[in-house]
Amino acid sequence: MIDVDGVTIDYGAGGRLVRAVENVTFTVVKGDSVALIGPSGCGKTTILFALAGLLDATSGRLSIDGAGIRGPQRSVALILQNAGLLPWKTVWQNANLSLLLNGEYPARTACGVLDELGLGAVARRYPAELSEGMKRRVGVARALSTSPAVMLMDEPLASLDTLTREKIQDLFLQLWREHGFSLVLVTHDIEEAAFLGRSVLVLTERPARVKEIVSNPGMGDLDYRETSAYREVLGRLREALER
Amino acid sequence: MSRRFRTATDRLTRGLRAARHVEKRTIGRQVLTYVISIAVLLLAWQIASLIVNRNVPPPTGGIQHAKILPGPFEALSQLIKNAAELQRHFLSSAWRLLLAMLIALAAAVPIGLMLGRERTLDRYLSPIVYITYPIPQVALILFFFVVFGTGSATKVAMVAFVLFFQILVSARGAAKNIDEEHITSVLSAGASRWQIYRHVIVPATLPDVLTSLRVSIGLGMAFLYIAETSAAFGKGLGGFIKDRMLFQREQAFAGIVAMGVLGLVLYVAVDIIERIVCRWKYVKRRAS
Repeated sequence: MIDVDGVTIDYGAGGRLVRAVENVTFTVVKGDSVALIGPSGCGKTTILFALAGLLDATSGRLSIDGAGIRGPQRSVALILQNAGLLPWKTVWQNANLSLLLNGEYPARTACGVLDELGLGAVARRYPAELSEGMKRRVGVARALSTSPAVMLMDEPLASLDTLTREKIQDLFLQLWREHGFSLVLVTHDIEEAAFLGRSVLVLTERPARVKEIVSNPGMGDLDYRETSAYREVLGRLREALER
Repeated sequence: MSRRFRTATDRLTRGLRAARHVEKRTIGRQVLTYVISIAVLLLAWQIASLIVNRNVPPPTGGIQHAKILPGPFEALSQLIKNAAELQRHFLSSAWRLLLAMLIALAAAVPIGLMLGRERTLDRYLSPIVYITYPIPQVALILFFFVVFGTGSATKVAMVAFVLFFQILVSARGAAKNIDEEHITSVLSAGASRWQIYRHVIVPATLPDVLTSLRVSIGLGMAFLYIAETSAAFGKGLGGFIKDRMLFQREQAFAGIVAMGVLGLVLYVAVDIIERIVCRWKYVKRRAS
């Protein structure tokens, strides 16, 4: 279980202290999914980076399965906005980066995750040779390579066209159901939040505080977008954001 | 054979194979460009020679008056006639320049990268760099002769000193401009500080470092010439050119052509190295 308890995060910018997150509390049950949504620059990514162990909370407590977060952990994977691929590494090297950094040398033929994501044929290519959609899938492959218990996604589908975005959202949903990781998704897209978040935390302008938690129990099916429950959640989210 | 070693050799083999395969057409095009450029340069040189030498009197009583600017064909014929001697000087200069470039690279790249990434170090060391960088290094030539003597060491040290700043400033700038997402990406995967350098900072800055190396070739040759003409002894194209400039000008220009060839060879070598080690820069998006 992911537990964020009364977390406040300040950081220094231009010689002064800026409060990015204020007294945020939420929990994510093991294997569940939560989407964080809010205005641009409100502090969503800051919360995610704190969960990834890249930032320390000024006050409050962040823990996973009861253990406080002190630095990046193997069981927590982070997918960044532009997939965070290193242009000088091949698809295979990018996908296995976490393992390689930990001194593990996966067999060259062990492209299980790449094959699962339809990337086996491009394993030796560089990111520059791929379409944007494929790059995002390589980012997912990298995140899955360590079989994480927690998947953190920071606007993973920003700047993609609608069709590609929906296809990859479907892929995220399938992977989440098959692999059983807990998912925390940061997005500014209410449709993405409603499709992938079992509960959606609507955050205020900076400093980020929880404005409302919208429950979304109907999510989890690929055809959820066609349902009235989905449209209703979209309406509630829009209303909460505009309030 | 360890797996790590196998991976490294495999990567190098693949790089060389890909460079050979992918670049065939590019290399052909590049060679053609060089041939055309050289032809244009020779033509311009010939025209300049005719203009500059128009007031030189014709040979009288079997005496050929020295031309102010010998033409390219006179220089090339001297290059062939003095090939053996020029080769010795060429190799001597090439060795000094290459060694100076390697020393400068080895010293400047790590310091430049650390200044670019480590804020505290940068705060204290950068002012020293920026105070010493603009000093005209040629003013220190006597100091180099006093410290290193009049042999090759002085010439190498002098050129390495000049190139050091050039490469250092480029490496520092390149390290500062690294996309932070790349750092975050490896940090979140649990990278140590050393691994960040190895997997992100070094490869990300390599293209800029190689560009600074390319710029350094011209600068290095200029300073090598100064160092070689300032020393009373030793081989090298600089000395060859200086000794013949007054009374055997065609030979001196043959030496200048040899220097040009040296620059071209190094320039092309850096290009080839970049095509191999930065192959990712030259790939294009392919249909999936």
